[in-house]
Amino acid sequence: MLEILLPILIFAALALAAIGAWRRIRLWRQGRPAEVDLLRGLVAMPRRYLVDLHHVVARDKAMSNTHVATAGGFVAAAMLMILVHGLGLANPVLGGLLLAASALMFVGSLFVARRRRNPPARLSKGPWMRLPKSLMAFSLSVFLSTLPTVGVLPADVGSWILALALVAALAWGLGEMFFGMTWGGPMKHAFAGALHLAFHRRPERFSDKQGGTGRSTGLKALNLEDTSAPLGVETPSDFTWNQLLGFDACVQCGRCEAACPAFAAGQPLNPKKLIQDMVVGMAGGSDAAYAGSPYPGKPVGEHAGEPHGPIVARQGTALVDAETLWSCTTCRACVEECPMMIEHVDAIVDMRRFLTLEHGNTPNKGAEVLDNLIATDNPGGFDPGSRLHWAADLNLPLMADVKQADVLLWLGDGAFDMRNQRTLRALVKVLRAAEVEFAVLGNEERDSGDVARRLGDEATFQSLAGRNIATLAKYRFQRIVTCDPHSFHVLGNEYGELGGNYEVRHHTTFIAELYDADRLAFAPWKGGTVTYHDPCYLGRYNGEYEAPRRVLEALGIQLNEMERSGFRSRCCGGGGGAPITDIPGERRIPDMRMNDVKETGAELVAVGCPQCTAMLEGVVDASAEVRDIAELVADALVARPIADAASPARRPVGKTTAEEVF
Amino acid sequence: MSEIYRRDPRREWIARNRLHPEHTRVLAELGGLGATSEWLGPNGVIRKNPHAIGFIGPNGVKRIDRSGAQQVGQAAASSISAARQAAQDNRRNVNIEAPAFLVAVVPELSGGRLSSHDKDLLGLARRLADADAEQPGAVVAILFGKYKEDALGEAGIDRVVHLDEELYAGFAPEARLAALSAVERELAPRHWLLPDSPLGGADLGRRLALRLGGGQGERPATGLWQIEADAEAPLGWRCTTRGAAGSLDIQRPLPRVALALAECAEPVDETRHAAEPLSLAEAIPSALSRIEDLGQVAVDPAGVALAEAEFILSGGNGVKDWDGFHYAAKVLGATEGASRVAVDDGFIARHRQVGATGTWVTARVYLAVGISGAIQHLQGIQSCEKVVAINLDPGCDMIKRADLAVIGDSAEILAALVAKVEQQRGGQRDAA
Amino acid sequence: MRPEQQGIEVAVLVSVGRHPITGRTRRADQDARGLELALGLERQVPGSRVSLLHAGPRSEESEAALRGYLGMAAGAGMAAGAGMGLETLTLLEQAEGSDAIPALVEHLAAAPPQLVITGARAERGEGSGLLPYALAERLGWPLVNGLAAVEKVENGVATLLQALPRGQRRRLKVRLPAIVSVDAAAPAARQSAFGPARRAGLEVGRVAAEPDLALAEWQLAPARKRPKRLKIIKAASARDRFKAAAAKVEGGNGQVLEGVSAEQGAEAIFKLLKEEGILR
Repeated sequence: MLEILLPILIFAALALAAIGAWRRIRLWRQGRPAEVDLLRGLVAMPRRYLVDLHHVVARDKAMSNTHVATAGGFVAAAMLMILVHGLGLANPVLGGLLLAASALMFVGSLFVARRRRNPPARLSKGPWMRLPKSLMAFSLSVFLSTLPTVGVLPADVGSWILALALVAALAWGLGEMFFGMTWGGPMKHAFAGALHLAFHRRPERFSDKQGGTGRSTGLKALNLEDTSAPLGVETPSDFTWNQLLGFDACVQCGRCEAACPAFAAGQPLNPKKLIQDMVVGMAGGSDAAYAGSPYPGKPVGEHAGEPHGPIVARQGTALVDAETLWSCTTCRACVEECPMMIEHVDAIVDMRRFLTLEHGNTPNKGAEVLDNLIATDNPGGFDPGSRLHWAADLNLPLMADVKQADVLLWLGDGAFDMRNQRTLRALVKVLRAAEVEFAVLGNEERDSGDVARRLGDEATFQSLAGRNIATLAKYRFQRIVTCDPHSFHVLGNEYGELGGNYEVRHHTTFIAELYDADRLAFAPWKGGTVTYHDPCYLGRYNGEYEAPRRVLEALGIQLNEMERSGFRSRCCGGGGGAPITDIPGERRIPDMRMNDVKETGAELVAVGCPQCTAMLEGVVDASAEVRDIAELVADALVARPIADAASPARRPVGKTTAEEVF
Repeated sequence: MSEIYRRDPRREWIARNRLHPEHTRVLAELGGLGATSEWLGPNGVIRKNPHAIGFIGPNGVKRIDRSGAQQVGQAAASSISAARQAAQDNRRNVNIEAPAFLVAVVPELSGGRLSSHDKDLLGLARRLADADAEQPGAVVAILFGKYKEDALGEAGIDRVVHLDEELYAGFAPEARLAALSAVERELAPRHWLLPDSPLGGADLGRRLALRLGGGQGERPATGLWQIEADAEAPLGWRCTTRGAAGSLDIQRPLPRVALALAECAEPVDETRHAAEPLSLAEAIPSALSRIEDLGQVAVDPAGVALAEAEFILSGGNGVKDWDGFHYAAKVLGATEGASRVAVDDGFIARHRQVGATGTWVTARVYLAVGISGAIQHLQGIQSCEKVVAINLDPGCDMIKRADLAVIGDSAEILAALVAKVEQQRGGQRDAA
Repeated sequence: MRPEQQGIEVAVLVSVGRHPITGRTRRADQDARGLELALGLERQVPGSRVSLLHAGPRSEESEAALRGYLGMAAGAGMAAGAGMGLETLTLLEQAEGSDAIPALVEHLAAAPPQLVITGARAERGEGSGLLPYALAERLGWPLVNGLAAVEKVENGVATLLQALPRGQRRRLKVRLPAIVSVDAAAPAARQSAFGPARRAGLEVGRVAAEPDLALAEWQLAPARKRPKRLKIIKAASARDRFKAAAAKVEGGNGQVLEGVSAEQGAEAIFKLLKEEGILR
């Protein structure tokens, strides 16, 4: 009986899965073309899965082991089942392996079931709640129906009824696992996820065998030369096909939701829901079936979309409300946490681009800031000729005068902000103490374009970037140093695509280098307890977690780390133009961050970003003082010992001066 | 007592002669109430007797306090009032009987009184009229509607054409233009001066300029702020005007019609002119009006945009009594603003936030209540002319920025200020 | 007179603006407010058509600035599908330094709209604010300045709100066709979007240009800072003059009243408000 039914069932499920896969692929193909090396991606896929993806999943050890058991068991069991039951290779060895695999899978599914008993809020419910049962049904029925094959049980044991029950359970399991995989069930993630890893839009973000860690955080440029190319994403089908594929890979684990500062602040954004909305839009329909946490303050079921319909309506509702997109601080916490390597920020900025460039609808102060950037090259609308007024007494060497320097000090728009001017002064003092040969662009400098780009105004970004690149091309310098991680990121990671390749250092990195080269000496720290806030654009965007800590250690500071620090650092709320678009929530993100600081009991929070300084200092009745690392360093500077001062170690880092050659 | 000052040469002689036995008595009489220190000398100059003033200091040295603070109160008061009277009497009466030419001025007359802009404009008119002392011109003011101003002569007006018909009330550019055209026909003034103020002369003056010159139009000088004599120019003057939204200075010969900015000249303060009424001989032809004024619309002062508000009452973390704050804003006629904290706490709407992260304001007076002055906030009020702070903490940054700071409980001070304004308003209404 | 249900023809005269700080070309603030007002008319008078008109030289810079106006089409117009006619801008091309008024009069007289909206004054050149008056005089149309809002248009008569100082408003009725000018009291212009601005077309028409001879003769220079008026004290006595000269400039360095009663504090503030002429 089973011998007849099993192959039919298996091949029917496989056929249905194939049809589903074809339909799913058609959905993805609605997207715009993208250049992807298909073959290379498929070859790289196992490594991407086993190394990069597991690197993320393994942050939760229990879940990682559960997944290894369940998924590993399933893949093995499915393969073997096709061989043993489908093709009738009733080999006891294969059968034994199949038994082991399905047993392993069953154990895994027990853990899945345990997690589903009291699921945390971030997990989606709905069909996901039946998944452990489906997994158990599959693994148990495969196990039982394999027992006769290996001869543990006689072939005709039990009654017809028992056999029928077994077949029914197996049909359920097969249905969920194969049919559901391609027809939109929870198991879809396995199918879409595998392809997503293979055809990822940022292949460079994966590690390689040579030991490269892989990091790709810069936004991709729009082609503005081509007047027929759409400006950003209006409808789900305006995404590239591999972006759509990526959305389908979502497992709704809600790690992004748990990490998202806007969600925590009660702003109407939930990265998981956003990705699910894109999946809904791709197929067409309403979000009523979504079973996870909604966007705060926005009930589920009121929004609907279609592949070629607008995502954001000019009036009324469509798939997503504009304020959801403008709540994002582009902190990348969701991307960092996503085990499926989905690029939420790219998608959000793509949609923002359309809102700004086509709708002309950047909320609140957005339009004003963009107008200022166009007219005055800085977001505040200040006279671009007054960029260096704060340093009137400092006699900063200008690139226009010296033409070349070791270090080009990029001031950033903080040069107009009175608070940040203190940081800049401190940094100049440190550079002078270390006898660094540096120069500034002065009034030739413009906004890096960070805010414009994140507000979706790619045209203004490219205009600013183009002019900055032209200015920088006039001068010779070894590296750019800046105290603004946003400029750091844009100059280092986003100008390359437009033809500007520079070696950029954040000031903490540079100070750490100077200290390691014995060019700075510090008085011992006498202050109170200190904690450090990782700026998103330094940490998650550029992987620099160590240098600031090394500098603080050199100052003699013992850090009281916050619970969320390093790659899990919580955003200050100042990125992505969020303070400009200013979407109301229940709380303010910087208030939550200062609460994190308070929990460590620190009296001082060290930061390395003008935005973070402004946001955190704006918190009323804060328990801790906010200082930039440059300020702490400048305060602690002491003269180097004389003997040391004469040592050759003091020459410019990584550079042999002309005099020494002679 | 008679205001006429009669001289007694003998007593003056005694007053000058310190050795005269009656010297002290005469001095006392001259000085009035026993203060023998000051009197009016023979040439109308105040004379002082340094021996009679001052006091013996702690070291036995005689000290004279020239600030006047040590003076006997009554004497000081009387001497100041006398000085003020003297200043008033200093105005020369000027009556130009047969003017060589006319300078027509159409003042804004907002609220029925000459504004400071009007007075500056009349000062400019006097400069044009009095350039040649031999052949002075006369300043003709054309006044529309009822006015309350009683110092027309003091402002430098020789002749007044008063047009008080109902059709000139409100926004009636067509009727007013017809009237000015009639003045042009009858009096043919050499110069037409109007204030370049949004709803004063800026509108009427431009209409007038285009109507003059037999329909050809005069190209008026707009945004004029300076004139200087220039013999080569047709009217004998050159002027400097602001162009291109205030970013350009244009030097050109002064045309017949000029629209001048405030502070274009010093107001008249040394002469008093006749301000004789003048009526037009011909009737003014009635103009066809295609614009109908339906009157003013009630506007909530709180609705004025923050960036344009002239006077902002801004509240911060230190404000505890928000009802009192809102009431104060209403009484003072101020636009409400707030610091970021007050907005975050939900006391006031987000679009009312002042500062680098809110709205950059340009108010003439910024009254900051309970705002300690975060850098972003101070940046946002950079271009405010006068900043007044009420705060409990004398060390906060807002106090350092403020032109006037009062340390104390904001609710009490605001309440006192409101009471004062209400009391003064009441008083004014009684007087009017 | 055409039936009102069909809406009205509105022509918005736009100029090339100048950013007050950097001097870069941009859409002029007042003109953009005028366009915003015109776009808002759609709500009051459905089916209205807005056309954009500019007379002046054509260059890359000025074209970019003019496209700033076209970028405003993105907001409401397209959504309602009414086709506000903002896909193009009519550019009457003239040589630099020409008088724009004859060209504009000719164009407007040829196909008269019912309402012409302009900014109060230009941000470049003479900027005398004469243009709307010259147009009104030559076309013989009524003119209303300082417009804040159009309330309704009925039977060829528009009901308007005119802005008065301190945010006050006056209601006016004006017979169409009319010219209205707007200043800073009109609603702020919406954001200009890059996409529609880039796509829109310029309809260029060459017109006869009369050079502005008078302007050419004047001397133009960047604005000097006007001297602050000094308080001239014509005091009768030397002591009063001395006191006036030596007295601390009010508010120069900040006066702090500490330890005073609420009444005294209020008195000081009251005095300052009085001096500033803020209280009425």
